[in-house]
Amino acid sequence: MIQFINTLLIGITAGSIYSLMAIAIVLVWRSTRVINFAQAGMALLSTYFGYEAMVHLNSFWIALPVAMAGGAAVAAFIELVFMRFLLKRSAHGAISGVAPIIATLGLLGVIRALTSSIWGGQDVRIVGPVSNVGYSIGANTLAFSPLKLLILVTVIVLVLLLSLLFQKSSIGLSLRASAFSPEIARLSGIRVDAVRTLGWSLAGASGAVAGMFQTVNGNGSFSPDSIEFSLLLVSGFIAAVIGGLDSLIGAVIGGLVLGLVISFVLMYISSSLFFIAPFVILLIVLFLRPQGIIGAKAARRA
Amino acid sequence: MKAMNRRKLITVSAVLAVASLAVTAVPAQAAEVGVSSTEIKLGMTLPMTGSASPGYNKIPAAVKAYFDYVNANGGINGRKLTLIAKDDEYVPTKAVAKTNELILKDKVMALLAPLGTANNKAVASVVNPGRRGIPVLFVNTGFSGFADKKKYPTTFSVLPSYIMEAKIMSEYIKDNFDGKKLGLIYQDDDFGDDALAGFKQAGVNFAVKVPYASGSQSGTTAAGWIQKLQAGGAEVVILFGVSSATAAALGTAAVMKYAPQWILGSVGGDATTIKAAGVPAGVLYNAVGASFAPATTDTNDEYVKLFQDIYLKANPTQTFDNNVMIGMNSAFLTAQAIQAAGKNPTRKSLIAAIEKSGSTFASAALVPLNYSTTSHIGYNGYWFGKYSPTGDLKPAGGVYTVYTTDSGTGAVVKSTYKRPAMPAKGLPN
Amino acid sequence: MHRLKSSNNLIYFFVFGFILFLASNRVDELRVYQGASIAVFVIAIASIILLTGYSGQVSLGHGALLAIGAYSAAVARNEFNVPVVVCFFIAVLSSALGGVLLGAAAARLTGPYLAGVTLALAIGLPSLANQFPILGGEQGLIFDVGFPPLSLGEEFTQYKWFFWISSLAALISMWLLSNILGSRYGRNWRAGRSNEVAAQLAGINTGRSKILAFTISAGVAGLAGALLSMTIGTVSPSAFPLALSFSLLTGAVLSGVTTLSGVMIGAVTLVAIPEIADVIANRIGASERITTNLPGLMVSTLLIITVLFVPHGPVEQHRSRKAKKLVQKKN
Repeated sequence: MIQFINTLLIGITAGSIYSLMAIAIVLVWRSTRVINFAQAGMALLSTYFGYEAMVHLNSFWIALPVAMAGGAAVAAFIELVFMRFLLKRSAHGAISGVAPIIATLGLLGVIRALTSSIWGGQDVRIVGPVSNVGYSIGANTLAFSPLKLLILVTVIVLVLLLSLLFQKSSIGLSLRASAFSPEIARLSGIRVDAVRTLGWSLAGASGAVAGMFQTVNGNGSFSPDSIEFSLLLVSGFIAAVIGGLDSLIGAVIGGLVLGLVISFVLMYISSSLFFIAPFVILLIVLFLRPQGIIGAKAARRA
Repeated sequence: MKAMNRRKLITVSAVLAVASLAVTAVPAQAAEVGVSSTEIKLGMTLPMTGSASPGYNKIPAAVKAYFDYVNANGGINGRKLTLIAKDDEYVPTKAVAKTNELILKDKVMALLAPLGTANNKAVASVVNPGRRGIPVLFVNTGFSGFADKKKYPTTFSVLPSYIMEAKIMSEYIKDNFDGKKLGLIYQDDDFGDDALAGFKQAGVNFAVKVPYASGSQSGTTAAGWIQKLQAGGAEVVILFGVSSATAAALGTAAVMKYAPQWILGSVGGDATTIKAAGVPAGVLYNAVGASFAPATTDTNDEYVKLFQDIYLKANPTQTFDNNVMIGMNSAFLTAQAIQAAGKNPTRKSLIAAIEKSGSTFASAALVPLNYSTTSHIGYNGYWFGKYSPTGDLKPAGGVYTVYTTDSGTGAVVKSTYKRPAMPAKGLPN
Repeated sequence: MHRLKSSNNLIYFFVFGFILFLASNRVDELRVYQGASIAVFVIAIASIILLTGYSGQVSLGHGALLAIGAYSAAVARNEFNVPVVVCFFIAVLSSALGGVLLGAAAARLTGPYLAGVTLALAIGLPSLANQFPILGGEQGLIFDVGFPPLSLGEEFTQYKWFFWISSLAALISMWLLSNILGSRYGRNWRAGRSNEVAAQLAGINTGRSKILAFTISAGVAGLAGALLSMTIGTVSPSAFPLALSFSLLTGAVLSGVTTLSGVMIGAVTLVAIPEIADVIANRIGASERITTNLPGLMVSTLLIITVLFVPHGPVEQHRSRKAKKLVQKKN
């Protein structure tokens, strides 16, 4: 029983982190109609910014905003100098459909190689601000600690803030308009370029939090060839698609589903199947509900 | 017709591409590959980056430090020893590619202490140093199979085999933790299988066995290991994996408030590496560990003192640990082997020298070497100790009690081996 | 442009084969080994070009298809002692089967969805090997094609043998592929890629046409996988990392993803990059971290630069420039 509860708890915490990653993917998709495969790489880079802040200022509460600001800046930079140029250049021609995909993959490779050459990946450790030792119930220890509680609460607050921003302001609408029909958006007075950059920046910040939490939630280290990184890379995308690629709530649900599936497969089925499990879930969702759990319309052929 | 021209263009460019490969001339051959009048080149593959690298990535600098020390003292018969180390990330495919480079491009005389069971197996099957007559000295793996002279004619084991380690460990468990529920975490490949064979041989049964795939060790997966051990009620847990797996298990156990009696295998038992991965020294305290060399903190030991001096002089910011000591010890054995291989050493004479006099080489270990014309087995025993409050492995009661055995059905016996004194200045004489 | 006569192709086939044969006798062993790798990459890249360039579908998971081929060849060889040549055919068939399944899924997905599915496959599939003992776990299986026949002489090295086998395989597959692409199927693919609706109106079953492309591409990738594992002697999950899929994609983009004829450019580049990186790292005395990561950095940077500046590859670029000049002259 305790094993079941713990598996559930581990899945929920991990899932909440995947949700943030999925939200990042959704934000970029909503603003530019590009799936950003480099999102996990950007999260990695921002986590290393956070690590540097940890080293010099020795406070997680400074490191987290530093990572978020760094992530937002990197994302904005990429959108401004790279994606705009790319989307303009590859708008036509035989590989126009695949060019952005290939480009973000290239970006992922560059970021991974750069971070590994600078930080190596071995010596990078970030310790959470509160204890990760689990709460006790009688003789049993829960796989739920003050740190995991902190992660959950922070994710919930961030998601609430984002949805407020989208509902109470016109940003959500502007994002969608800029992506679907930039010309009309422009005519109706939306500053398309600025809105797109904003979408990317929010995504960068969100991914940075995911990276920081993924690090402290594991054993405190995070490297480009760790399992934790591969999980972020795959889960962000898959969770976003499960959720319908267009919806914040969908991304959160997708992330939680994925977190739970991975946790239960790892515990009860096999520790070598947990990378194939997300793939299977993805295929099932794509075939049964091509519009995603939350998606409104069939848009798979976008 | 235009299509024809284009085809021609493509063919020509393709031919050029191939031809460009052909330009590199084959250099004139010296008396022996990798041996010049001033230098002997040796090559090593090991993980220097990646998930399995912590701890082991200090070995190249350790070997280089000792080689530089020898070179500063005149080298071996006037030749200096050079190590070329390449990063294989603990991936067999890369080990094959890097070993190819060492042999075909860098033209090393011999391979020295290549690390990893799976990696060495892959290299043996494709690059096949045995068939090419290239010595593979002191492989950094305890897989018992590498001592098989028929299959790996040019390979010399040095570490006691995992079977030996498991057998001696079983003896220790029977003496100290009889009747307790046992748990085991092991790497799911030949490394782990070798250990399982040893435990089976010794008649040890485990309540919980947790295999992990090489490279899958991490906080995420370790949560599963620990829960399984907890659910199975294991009171004594053996960690028979690489350092990063040991660290992941210990770190996660601390978070889950799970504190069985830990027993650390020699491969993943280096305290410095475990602590560097963020495991508090307190978690290591009282864990049981094994080694065949003296404790790294035992500075009264003449070898520890010398090796530590040499290493820290060359790498002042680093910590002297067990990986460093074993690396330097292998370098020390290599220097003696080359010395014994004659004025103009060849690959053949090098192998013959180790077979002939390898068992008399001086070494830091408290266990004898077993080389002969029929045996490529190196060390064959271990002593057990406990980790101190600062997380350093120390022999129980301050006395090294060494047990030896074989990889077969032989008994575990208390060793009577007395280590000979170190040759002057720790140089081959 | 693609209306090549197969007899013409056949001549090139023999000329090129003869040149390779001469070359293999003149270079040192390392170059022969690299030559074998080039041949393997030629096959793998061709399979991606066929899929992405001609039928317009993107696969980030070709590494997984290579793995299927490699594993089935190794299992056939180790468990059933099948002759080596047959092993290669088994590799082609089993990967092609995987391709049919993936293609059926792919026909319902496009663009980013397909990319994501294949990406997840590339990460997930190799780890299956840890689940089934017959696949040898993380350590993998030995795939040994045996020593070269004695009739080739005492001096004939193992690597030259690899080179011969993979070069022959590369020549045969390139010849087959260029004939397929020149046929009705090739035209259907290109039609579907440029305008799916128009192609459907013209009576082409684009769905079936896409599945066929996936199947053939996968079969060719399977051959590449078996050859790859021959040159490295083992088949293991770590031999098919995500980085391999990315490298192959880079190779395809570098070669010019819309034409098969640049395939050597990508293959040679992929083999040359580690060499060049090594030289650079030595020159600047780089640390181990940089040395290890430099090849990856170069591959990714090249990928980005190519997508940005030469999206159709150098060969196509050269062609279109020539065509433009021709038009200008006429005017």
